[in-house]
Amino acid sequence: MKDQTTTTSDIAGIMLKATNLSHRVDLADDTLTILQGVNLEIKRAESVAIVGRSGSGKTTLLGLLAGLDTPSEGSVELDGATISSLSEDDRARLRAQRVGFVFQSFQLLPALSAIENVMLPLELGGHENPEAKAKDLLVRVGLGERLHHTPRQLSGGEQQRVAIARAFAADPIVLFADEPTGNLDNHTGQAISDLLMALNREQGTTLVMVTHDEHLAARCKRQLHIEAGELSEPATQNAPQAESIA
Amino acid sequence: MGAAKKLSSVRRDWRERDVRVVLAALIVAVATVATIALFASQLQSTLISSASSFLAADRKLEAENGIPVPPEWREEAERRGLKTAEMIEFSTMVFGNDNFQLVAAKAVNDDYPLKGEVEYQLGEDAPRQVSARGPDRGNVWINPRLLRLLDVEIGGSLEIGNKALTVSGLLIREPDGGFSMAALAPRVMMHSDDVAATNVVQQGSRVEYSYLYAGEESDLNAFYRWLEPRLEPSHEWESIRDGEALSQSLLKAERFLLLGGSLAVLLAAVAVAVASRQYAMNQRDTVALLKTLGLSSHGIGQLYIGRLALWGLVGIVGGLLIALPIVWMLNSLVADLLERPVDFRLDILALTPALMTAVVSLFAFAYPPIRRLRNVPAMRVLRSQPGESGREAWLDIGIAVVAVFGLVWLYAREVSLVLALLGGLAALLGILMVLGWLMVIGLRRVSGGGNAWRLALVALYRHRRASLSQIAVFSMTLMLACTLVLVRSSLLDDWQAQLPEDTPNHFLINIAPDAVDDVEDFLQTRSLPLDTLYPMVRGRLTELNDQPVKETVSKDERVGALNRELNLTWMDQLPADNRVVDGEWFEEGQRSGVSVEAELAEKLGLKLGDKLGFTIGSDKVSAEITSIRTVQWDSMKPNFYMAFPPGGALDAMPATWITSFHLPAEQKSELNEFSRKFPTISVLEVDHIIERIRSIVQQVTQAIEAILVLILAAALVVMAAVVSATLQDRQREGALLRTLGGRQSLLVRSTMVEFALLGFFAGVLGVAAAEAAVWALQYRMFEGEFRWHWNVVLSIPLISAVLLSVFGRLQLRPVLEVSPMLLLRRLE
Repeated sequence: MKDQTTTTSDIAGIMLKATNLSHRVDLADDTLTILQGVNLEIKRAESVAIVGRSGSGKTTLLGLLAGLDTPSEGSVELDGATISSLSEDDRARLRAQRVGFVFQSFQLLPALSAIENVMLPLELGGHENPEAKAKDLLVRVGLGERLHHTPRQLSGGEQQRVAIARAFAADPIVLFADEPTGNLDNHTGQAISDLLMALNREQGTTLVMVTHDEHLAARCKRQLHIEAGELSEPATQNAPQAESIA
Repeated sequence: MGAAKKLSSVRRDWRERDVRVVLAALIVAVATVATIALFASQLQSTLISSASSFLAADRKLEAENGIPVPPEWREEAERRGLKTAEMIEFSTMVFGNDNFQLVAAKAVNDDYPLKGEVEYQLGEDAPRQVSARGPDRGNVWINPRLLRLLDVEIGGSLEIGNKALTVSGLLIREPDGGFSMAALAPRVMMHSDDVAATNVVQQGSRVEYSYLYAGEESDLNAFYRWLEPRLEPSHEWESIRDGEALSQSLLKAERFLLLGGSLAVLLAAVAVAVASRQYAMNQRDTVALLKTLGLSSHGIGQLYIGRLALWGLVGIVGGLLIALPIVWMLNSLVADLLERPVDFRLDILALTPALMTAVVSLFAFAYPPIRRLRNVPAMRVLRSQPGESGREAWLDIGIAVVAVFGLVWLYAREVSLVLALLGGLAALLGILMVLGWLMVIGLRRVSGGGNAWRLALVALYRHRRASLSQIAVFSMTLMLACTLVLVRSSLLDDWQAQLPEDTPNHFLINIAPDAVDDVEDFLQTRSLPLDTLYPMVRGRLTELNDQPVKETVSKDERVGALNRELNLTWMDQLPADNRVVDGEWFEEGQRSGVSVEAELAEKLGLKLGDKLGFTIGSDKVSAEITSIRTVQWDSMKPNFYMAFPPGGALDAMPATWITSFHLPAEQKSELNEFSRKFPTISVLEVDHIIERIRSIVQQVTQAIEAILVLILAAALVVMAAVVSATLQDRQREGALLRTLGGRQSLLVRSTMVEFALLGFFAGVLGVAAAEAAVWALQYRMFEGEFRWHWNVVLSIPLISAVLLSVFGRLQLRPVLEVSPMLLLRRLE
């Protein structure tokens, strides 16, 4: 499905690159440093897990890499575009075309049915036949019978399947996932991570995931540890990309 | 339907509570404003037409020189599409059954009257009838008194000059009779075609030709422009007179309705502001997600603007659907009480304020918080961001205040109203700031404990920002509602006080000086209390500061008072219902000066110290203005434009006396004896007019009360909006408190105390601000006196404390009914 992308990725190699990334938040009488001098490179179709304790800065890093926020210092390049210097609207356009998201709390719009939630990014991206594609994706995540149910009528696991279908709807080249199994029980979480990994492989998407779940993290090709805003890659890991370590 | 489109469908919006509140507020506001504006416009046109009927036309041209105007003038008027009628008025002697009597004859043609009806009877005990024209040729309708004075019967005949005419009816009321006291001699109404045969009207006799015109305002004005250069000094152009008792009453009602409408606008604005702010807060997650999925800020803006437009449409359509049937009902009410059909016209222009209310409420109050949604960071999908407390920008508040007061002004066209309300609200905010400061100082030291009062005070302090804004909204709502209720009750009190049971309903005019004592005796023996007797001298205002007054006052003013003889009087006591607004009332022994009625002074641009010259018969009298006073035109007592001190310039002039008294219906027959005993005294019967005003006041009161209910409903919508805005937070807190081991009874008590305190503070503030606003309104708009309303001042804070503590208790219900665990999960 993504033959063309795969071909170019072999040539260009780097999908996501963070250079000297820092993020600080001004408080009433102090400045809080959340990220400090993070350098990172992620290749095309690679899957990377960012793990760390609560408050270590991993969600902030994910937000910066996805262009949801801008860093205090440093730059982020996504597929060759320096997103940290783009305007908010340009970043939104880029997200619509190339980025997909899966969240811990699903983030489905409660007033829309399953299929409408999946159609939303397709419509925003100006897709030709959003309904057919949304339906196809929901069938693939096993919800072909529940197209017109609203999030309230779906279980947590089902809601996350809808969210995954939505994430892959616009054929993203990068998928960001924030604790995708964090709100689910072990069994359901396992099923969701299977689905996520399978689709990721099938679509050839680059996957960047923040998680506490060690099993899930272990299924990624690389694992990055973050502590007190600084990134490290465990040496024990089979890590051929030494240049990606800060 | 596409998913993105579905995001802004009304059906979907309706499922959200905040949107329902916004829509309800809009619908109530549009309905109230449309109802009032349409009704007021209807009332106004009814007023004009009822005032027109006091002139029997829209305009009247009088030729006092006894020479008819050229017939081309009538042709020109008709060419311009105006209706015309003619009448001739003259004094003459009539003969009947060997008796004779001086009468005021009025000869009218077939087209008279152009507006209103002539009321007559076919016998003294026959029912009253109305006719759209005067008597036929060869017939007369006469004042009932004349029947006795001449000793003639219905069907009998009387002679005017050389012509015998049949008495075919009794003239009860002519549409242009009004309260004019010019009709001193009894009236005889005849057909104008019979005038020539009487031979009474000759060259040089004292006769007045009048020409009536009716039609579109623009045609009337165009005709006047054509006519003006042709008019001679003896020609008078009269338009509708103001100061008629009926118009005054209805005008007050109209002002009250406008006030009500303005308050409805303010209430709606508050409700829309509160609900849409809450809505915007709840939409932040959706916006963050849409941004994450790639929707630009521009797209977000479009999405929500589209939604606002949709709400506006729903508000307008819904409001009109409610308003139109109500207006239709109110109109048939007005038609009933005026005893004639009222044209139901849908005044599209009158709908403008209603449409503007919806548009301005949405764009000045709902738009700012929603516009800020564009700035919600996409990062919010991952975690809530700092700096998102939703604090309003001062600019937004400024725009909103300007917008809403602009709206009130557009609507009521009453600067004093706008200022009174603005002043009340400003006072409110001022006190609120002081209160906030006191709260911070006073409550800081209270620490929690197992006591409900302490917990409540701690909660008030910890949520001080929310508490203050709730107090602000509650007190504003209470202020607006109280203002309306207070103005209503004092308006009604004023009305009732103005026409008490013993309101004088008969005037005695033309009492000769030597008959004054006899008249007093006559009435005293029948225990009919007499109001003060006033001397009356008829004179014309001719000079202002030694210049002819017609030169000094611009023609545009067209003040009727300059064109006709005024009733001048002298008095030492200021009548109880008059009020000196400038200068000083006559001191004891003062012999010079004159007191002028305020509206006339304003129209003519008269000020203290101006010298006025009057022509009385062949004499001239002058006096300096020493005071300007307001007059209660609707008091049914003799009222005067000009009052001199006793022993002043008027004393030497020939005067007659005038008075008014109350004659109970069952003593009505005493009038016959009175007329026989005092044939030269004119009795002006206004009892039926008083009855009419009473019934109008009563029915308009009902209309006002109906609208009041609508407005109080708007106030409740606001309250509901504010309370429900905090619902989730409070439920979560309650659930947590229970989880942490708080006893149910403690939770209930502390919540009720907290809300009772909120309600009490809001009540105190609201009542204080309402009193301030009422004081200003009463003084400026309704010309009544201000009184403290102690019962309201004391009861509102208590009522609002109880009401809010019940509201608080109700909010808590879900927290108490389910397990804290379940609740916390549900609220996640």
